[in-house]
Amino acid sequence: MAVGTGILRVPREAKKGEVVRVQMVITHPMTPPRKDPQTGQEVPAYTLTKLELFFNDKPVSTVNMGAGVSANPFMAFTLRVEDSGVVKIVYEDNKGGKWERTAEIKVS
Amino acid sequence: MDRRRFFALSAFAVVGLTLAPALQPAFGATKLEEEVQKRLGVQLSQIKEVEDIKLTAPTIAESGANVPITVESTIPVDRVERLWIFVDKNPVPWIADVSFTPMNGQVFFSTRIKMGETSNVRAILKLKDGSYVMATREVKVTAGGCG
Repeated sequence: MAVGTGILRVPREAKKGEVVRVQMVITHPMTPPRKDPQTGQEVPAYTLTKLELFFNDKPVSTVNMGAGVSANPFMAFTLRVEDSGVVKIVYEDNKGGKWERTAEIKVS
Repeated sequence: MDRRRFFALSAFAVVGLTLAPALQPAFGATKLEEEVQKRLGVQLSQIKEVEDIKLTAPTIAESGANVPITVESTIPVDRVERLWIFVDKNPVPWIADVSFTPMNGQVFFSTRIKMGETSNVRAILKLKDGSYVMATREVKVTAGGCG
């Protein structure tokens, strides 16, 4: 899968005021800076640096991360939903890549 | 310079030289302490360990490349500002930091981290009143996940 592909998973339906789990998996190598064993050249780090979680375009959580997070990062948050709406994640890496994913929750 | 002063001075110099390396560790902080100081602005020794943060991690991780950890807390989310995750013995101890808002509903964060070797994992919470609290757990790693 291409770098930056993300899967965002939320429950399809929820009750008003319920605290739901928001989970995501993003395809990314998350390599730390290191020396190439064959050529001895410095290979710069390639990691996600920031991930933001929005609900109806209101910021909920921000994660700053480095190479300490595993390759293909998995993350889970909780979110209290009062109205139906759209959960959005925006994430970027240190080589200028920026992506976003959305998912809908129907609140009854 | 007369002989008496010369001996006194050289004795002083020798004592100074032998003591200097011995004193060094007291001033030089470990990587983890430096990192905590840099990112949080407080000393690690000043952070209190509390019971109401639940840090879930495997006791033994088969692979250090993928250690699932979960941080939960019964502290109301509107009293919490930020969460940091550190691994003591990683080349870069800082893993991630997460900000919370009341929209989160509760303090909860779960992810997978890399660990180079058997070490402590720490979750440090910054509360709105400016204080810091922490939870620590040891994870044994059979195969490292760095490099």
